[in-house]
Order: sequence, then C-alpha cells, then structure tokens
Amino acid sequence: MHISEGILSGQVLSAGAVIAVAGTGIGLKKIDYDKIVHVAILASAFFVASLIHINIGPASVHLILNGILGLLLGFAAIPAILTALLLQSIFFQFGGLTALGVNVVIMAVPAVLVHYLFLPLLGKSSKLNFTAGFLAGFFSILFSSLLLGVALWFTDKNFFETSLAIIMTYIPVMIIEGVITGFCVTFLLKVYPEIIPKKL
Amino acid sequence: MKTLRIKQISVLFIIILTLIPAGFVHAHKVIIFAWVEDGMIFSESHFGSKREAKNCSIRVLNGKGLLVHKGKTDEQGKYSFKIPENIDSGLVLHLDAGTGHKAHWKISENELRNNPSNDDIKTAMETKAKLEENPSLYKIVTGVGIIFLLAMVLKFIKKRRKKSD
Repeated sequence: MHISEGILSGQVLSAGAVIAVAGTGIGLKKIDYDKIVHVAILASAFFVASLIHINIGPASVHLILNGILGLLLGFAAIPAILTALLLQSIFFQFGGLTALGVNVVIMAVPAVLVHYLFLPLLGKSSKLNFTAGFLAGFFSILFSSLLLGVALWFTDKNFFETSLAIIMTYIPVMIIEGVITGFCVTFLLKVYPEIIPKKL
Repeated sequence: MKTLRIKQISVLFIIILTLIPAGFVHAHKVIIFAWVEDGMIFSESHFGSKREAKNCSIRVLNGKGLLVHKGKTDEQGKYSFKIPENIDSGLVLHLDAGTGHKAHWKISENELRNNPSNDDIKTAMETKAKLEENPSLYKIVTGVGIIFLLAMVLKFIKKRRKKSD
C-alpha cells in the first residue's frame, strides 16, 4: 500500500503533503488529553502491522490496520498514521519521505471515513461491535485501494485497470483486516469499554 | 483500579506487537540487484529477502534517462539481457512491481566496460545484503518507543495549555 519514491509527479506529492499537514493539524487539535495513550498504542499497532505479510499471487501485501485506528480515533488517526508511516519510512524503508504525504492521505482519509460510517454501530451488542469492526477494516482497505488507484492514475492514466488490479490484489487483505479489526474491537470493548470514543 | 487496567492493557499490547511479529516478519520493500558477466547483465528481484518479484517489468535507462531496453522478470524474479550496443554511460535498471512498488539498481559505465574487480563485487554484495536486511527487533522497539515519547510530549503540551487556559 506504500507508494515508493519516484513514482508520482511533484503536484500529486505536494497535494498529498498539504492534505496530510492540514489533517494532522486538525487531528492534533481534536486529540483528547485523556486519549493520548490510546492514540500511541494504536499508532504502535499500525507501525508494526506493516511487517506482517500475506503473499498473494505475484504481489506481496501486508496488514495495515487503518480501520481500527479510524474507528476508535477519528481525526486523531491522521497524526497517528503520519507518525507511524514516517517511522516505517525511516526504519524499514517503506514508501519514502517525499511520498509520505500521499501515503498518509491514502491510509488516513479512509480511516476517518470509516469512523463516521461505523462508529454509531459500536457499544450496542457484541455482534454489532464485531460487525462494526469488520466493516471498518474491510472498507478502510477498499477506500485506500481506490485512493491508491487515483494517485497512480496520475502516472498511468489508466484509472480503471490500475484500480481494478489494486482492488483485486487487496480483496484478501480487506477480508483479513475486517476479521482482525472485528475481533480486536470486540475484545477491546469487553476489557476496556472506555476506549469507545464519544458518539457523534 | 482503572489506571492499573489501562497500564496492563498497554503493556500487553506493546509486548504482543513488538515481540510476537518479530519472529516472522521480513522486509516488505521490493529490491532489484544486478551485475555484469560476460557481456550480459543479470538481475534478481524480490520482496525483502524472501519472495521473488515475478513477472514484473524492468526498464533500462541510460545516463540521459532514455529507454535502452525493457523486459520482464521470470518466475524466479530473474531477468538477463545482452549489454545494449553504443552505450556511453552507466545504466539504471528500474523494476516496477506494481501497486506503487518500485526499485532501481545502478550499473556504472566502468562496470559495463570492464570485468568487475573483487572490490566491486564486495561492494555490490554489501549493498545487496544491506537492502535485504530484515527489520530488527531493536528498530521495532525503537519505533514504538519514539511513538510513546511523542505522545508524552503531546501530553505535556496539552497539559500546559490546559493550565494556561
């Protein structure tokens, strides 16, 4: 899911950087003082998840976990994802510093979207908690795949084929992330229900 | 009691996230490695050090950035071709492994014209080994540590702002 350096045009990289900086500013402002530790824990999960690999056909994909970050953190997921991606870029050479903004947009915007889409389902029953987690995990990867397709479209000019190839590659990841996010959310809400953000 | 539970969950999460994956993780970045031998350029491409980059396109550019050759990796992630004629600069092999994954390897003009010396081979092998290096537990723990350090800084800033308000 990380776009490497040297692929996208300067305009796309700049647009990504501007959106990422603006989103990070909003996210930092919205982080509640008492929830900062939650943000750090989930950012750590995101940082490490990229090292867990799934080999699909000719491609090599990894877990992302932007769904659980988005669902539980909302806008605060943006600075969390920015920090984790920056560290992944420095320590593991995933993506690259110039593509950081675009990568943040690709992974953080869907995270915020799933927060607003599926948060209302949380905290009602165990089944609904799992469903909300599954949908957040599934759709965050689907939306990220689409955004990745849009970013690459500026290079390939072949949006439909590029996006289709990306979505096909990531379908198993959508399902796996959905299941993992579902179980994580159900577990967290059982042992620590305070982690649910305030309702919209 | 509540603080204790938060601490317990935090510690549990950190231990799981840092120690368990460390046993089976490998680098995700795509890598291309190329060398010259008997008038041919040989290349090997893979994700990290584990999985071959199959059927991925390779474009070869000269010093001016012009395309001089192109091809595709085989099932083992390998691709070889004859050194193109009339080359007056070094070459760069660009690997496109799809979904935004790219890598490149530079071959100097000197390497193209002469057989590589032992020093050249040693340097190339060191570069290859460095690229293939898997993320260490040390890097993972440091990364998580930095995240928590930044969180503490943010907490400190927010606390000061609260007080001044």
